[in-house]
Parts: sequence; structure tokens; C-alpha cells
Amino acid sequence: MLRLEGLRAAYGRIEALKGVSLEVRAGELVTLIGANGAGKTSTLKAISGTLRSSDGRILFEGNEIHRLTPREILTRGIAHCPEGRRVFPYMTVRENLEMGAYARADIHGIREDLERVFAHFPILGERLRQAAGTLSGGEQQMLAIGRALMARPRLLLLDEPSLGLAPTVIETTLRIIREVRQRGVTVLMVEQNAYLALRMADRGYVMETGQIALEGKAGDLIENEHVKRAYLGG
Amino acid sequence: METFLQHVVNGLILGGTYALLGIGLTLIFGIMNVVNFAHGEFYTLGAYGAFLFLSLLDTNFFVALLGAIALGILLGGACERLLLRPLLGESIETTMLVMIAVWIAMQNAELLAWGGVAQSIDHPFPQAPLILGPISVAPLRLFVFGTAVLLILGAHLLIHRTRLGKAMRATFQDRETAALMGVDIHGIHTLTFAFGSGLAAAAGTLLGPIFVVYPSMGDLAALKAFSVVILGGLGNFAGATLGGLLLGIAEELGAGYVSSGYRDAVGFAIIILVLLLRPSGLFARAERVG
Ligand SMILES: Nc1ncnc2c1ncn2[C@@H]1O[C@H](COP(=O)(O)OP(=O)(O)OP(=O)(O)O)[C@@H](O)[C@H]1O
Ligand SMILES: [Mg+2]
Repeated sequence: MLRLEGLRAAYGRIEALKGVSLEVRAGELVTLIGANGAGKTSTLKAISGTLRSSDGRILFEGNEIHRLTPREILTRGIAHCPEGRRVFPYMTVRENLEMGAYARADIHGIREDLERVFAHFPILGERLRQAAGTLSGGEQQMLAIGRALMARPRLLLLDEPSLGLAPTVIETTLRIIREVRQRGVTVLMVEQNAYLALRMADRGYVMETGQIALEGKAGDLIENEHVKRAYLGG
Repeated sequence: METFLQHVVNGLILGGTYALLGIGLTLIFGIMNVVNFAHGEFYTLGAYGAFLFLSLLDTNFFVALLGAIALGILLGGACERLLLRPLLGESIETTMLVMIAVWIAMQNAELLAWGGVAQSIDHPFPQAPLILGPISVAPLRLFVFGTAVLLILGAHLLIHRTRLGKAMRATFQDRETAALMGVDIHGIHTLTFAFGSGLAAAAGTLLGPIFVVYPSMGDLAALKAFSVVILGGLGNFAGATLGGLLLGIAEELGAGYVSSGYRDAVGFAIIILVLLLRPSGLFARAERVG
């Protein structure tokens, strides 16, 4: 479904991606783990078009997308739920969800998806008129995921959905990610919490200083000595 | 008491156009992060635009006003497209310098085109003031105030009730995430600058018939616009509206009770006080850009 081939990208003179290759197949949940500054966020930004790549290719369902605008990439079916949630703080919950569907014109479909988001996240339905900036961290994370789902993506990019959340809230978030998958949405998830990510993913990639260092089935990576030592605290 | 009321009414009328100027400037700053030093020139353009339509094309007064506003919108859009878009991502100082250049260029172009002589704009309203109890208002001034209020309401509805307005607010609050949602940031910038310039031109075209029209008239208008933005808080739409009305009233009261020579000084004294006591603006807690 998605394939990165030798992708390079930089912020000015800082090279963040030094030839990243990875693949996500339809229906999979793939996780990208690695230390701070490894380039995980940059990889997702390159896929969604907010970081321009300088070399290499990104293919989505067989077509090159690395020269498209973020909007074009979004309308092809890739939604990006960014690191740190990034809800629009002065907008209401409803307006935030509407922004998720900004690039769509099918009013009926949008209304359907709004109902579906409320079914996933009842709390959002109760807070429609509240300013998003006044929600708790967990509620903001739900809103950010809900907003991304409002684009009705076929591939969902999730950047650190568990960041800064209490354990019970993390459980809720993970349950929702599983539900999203069951609806047939493919997921590429970046996580700091490697154990948590590998436990629920099909496959994983380990990123180190702008490159893929290891890849494999999630179950194999959990048992891998290097992964254990570097990322699982064992 | 009667004179006080009269001053307040005069202040509101003046303040309505200050609000238009301030809203334009605050939107451009809030959404684009550009300090628009040429804002006053779009005000001048509005006044000269009306003069041009009336004297050269001999149009109806109201058509001239609309034409002048359209001129401001078009030139504003062109200015963003040609000068600011290539600088997207550059520092705020860079765009500030470019806008200072635009200010100087536009003002000298006006001087070249019309000479330094002040011009007046004819209007179709009767001179005799309307007497409403203790206050009297010239019909032209009533028209100016009514139009300013309509434009402010229109701008408010645009920002809060339309899809475009939502995209503008999203861009203001988080540019990168707005782009992720599919907002065309370039397009939003062009529209914002065109819209802000149109509001400045509207203010100029409304005040033109009340005062006289001359090439450097925009300098003072720009200073007032900056004052309003500081009063209301940077990027704060409601703040700019209230700030504009407040500045107008304060100026009238200052001119009436202190001395007419102090009219402009009163406004700036307030700004200095606000900067000292409440540097984030009088209405810092109000929602920003909408
Ligand atoms: N906007 C930016 N400007 C300059 N350098 C950046 C920017 N964003 C990231 N970088 C650099 O690019 C490299 C990769 O950063 P990235 O955010 O992709 O890492 P990450 O794996 O997501 O880290 P974390 O786990 O801390 O979120 C780092 O060296 C970082 O300093
Ligand atoms: Mg990151």
C-alpha cells in the first residue's frame, strides 16, 4: 500500500532522513520505533507532504506521491495525526472535527463519519461546544485521532498517540486504534513506548539516526537482543 | 452632559473606521505574521480611488465607493502574490522591510499621480444635520458609521460562519496542522491580505468625503491602525473592533475637553499606558482571530 524507497529529507542543513526504506501493506498495523531524534516524526511528515524530501520516492498504491501537496496526499487517503496532538485550541470540538473533513465535499459522508467518531469517543459528543484547548490531554488525543478519521483515510499515520497520557487513558487509546483497524484502516504508528507498540503491531521498524536499523515481525523484534537492550529496558 | 454625548457619538463614528483599519491590520499580522507598514497606503488608495471614479469616470457616489474598495482588494491580493509569497518562511523582519518599501513606493506614486494638493470628494448627502434629541449628526457621518458597522459585521460573519473563515482561524492557530487538514496556506495568505487591504481602502473611502484627500494621509491612519491593534491585542478581531471604537471616543473627548490640538496625542498617550500596564492588550483574554 505504502512504500518508501531511499527517502532523504533535511531541515536546512540538518539531515533528518538519510535514506529510509520501509513498506506498509494494506490492512497492517506497522510501528516505527526509535530513540529521540531518530527521525520518526520526520518520516511521517515526509509521507504527509509537510516535509519535502530531497531524494528517494514515496509510493502510495503504486503512484508516486512525494511531489504532491499535503492536500492532494490527504485526498488520496492518507491522514496524519501529528505529534503532540496539535488540536486547534481556540476552536470548538465540533469545529476541530469539521477541520478534519475540510478537504471533503460529501456532506452526507461527513455527517456519517461525525456520528461514527461520537460512537468511538462519546466524550467528544458531550463536549461539542467546548474550546479544544480546554480539554484534558487524553481528551485532546481522542479529538486529534477523531479529527484525522474525519478525513476517512485508508492509511492513518499516528505520531506518539500514548505521549503524556495516564495508563488507563493509554488503554482507551489503544482500544480505539484496534477498532479503527477493524474497520479496515491501515495504520503506521510511531511510538516511544516500544513494548506497547510491538505488542499490538503486526510488524515493526527500528529507526536510528535517520535510517532503518532493524525490521521484522513485531513478535520477533520483542525477542531481539538489541531491541531488548536499547528500547525495552532489559 | 449634552456635549459629552455629542463627543461620544462623534467618537463612535470616527472609531468605526478606526476599527475597520485595525481589523485589517490585525488579521494580516495574526494569520500571516506580517507587520504591514503599507496598511495606511491602502487607506489612501481607497480615498483616491473614490476620487478617481468620481472625477474621471463620473460614476455614482456609491459605485465609486465600491470601486475604490475593489481596487484595494485587487492591489492587496497582487501585493501578496508578487511580493510576499516568495518570502514565505522568511523572518518577520524581512517582510517588514519589504512592506516599508511598498509604503514608500505607493506614497510617492500617489504624489506623482496627483501632486501634493489636497482634493475633496463630493457626496450626495444633505449638509443639514439630523437632530436626534440632544445630539446632531451630519447625514454623511451617519452613512459612514452605518457602513462601517455593516462591514465589521460582515467581516465577523466571514470569519466565524464560513468555511473560508474557519480555514483562516485554523491557519492562525496552527499553520502546519492547518496544512495537514488540506488548507491551502498560500491561498489563505492571498485572501487575507486582499481582505485586510480592502478593509483599509473602505476606511479611506468612507473618511475621504468627510476630510480631504492628500498623498500622505495614510501615515496617520497607519499609526491609528497600529494603535488599535495594540489596544486590542495582536491578532484579536473583537479586540480591534472595541479598540477602534475606544480610540475614536478617547480622541473626541480629548479634543473636546483638553484641546483640539491634542486629538492625536490622546490616542498615543493611551497606547503608552496600555503598553506599560497591559502589554498584551486590553482584551487579552478574548478569543483571538475570531
Ligand atoms: N523543525 C525542525 N528544524 C530543524 N531540525 C529539526 C526539526 N524537526 C526535527 N529536526 C531534527 O531532525 C532530527 C529528527 O527529528 P524527528 O522529530 O524526526 O525525531 P523523532 O524520532 O520524531 O524524535 P522524538 O522521539 O523526540 O519525537 C532531529 O535531529 C531533530 O533535531
Ligand atoms: Mg517525534
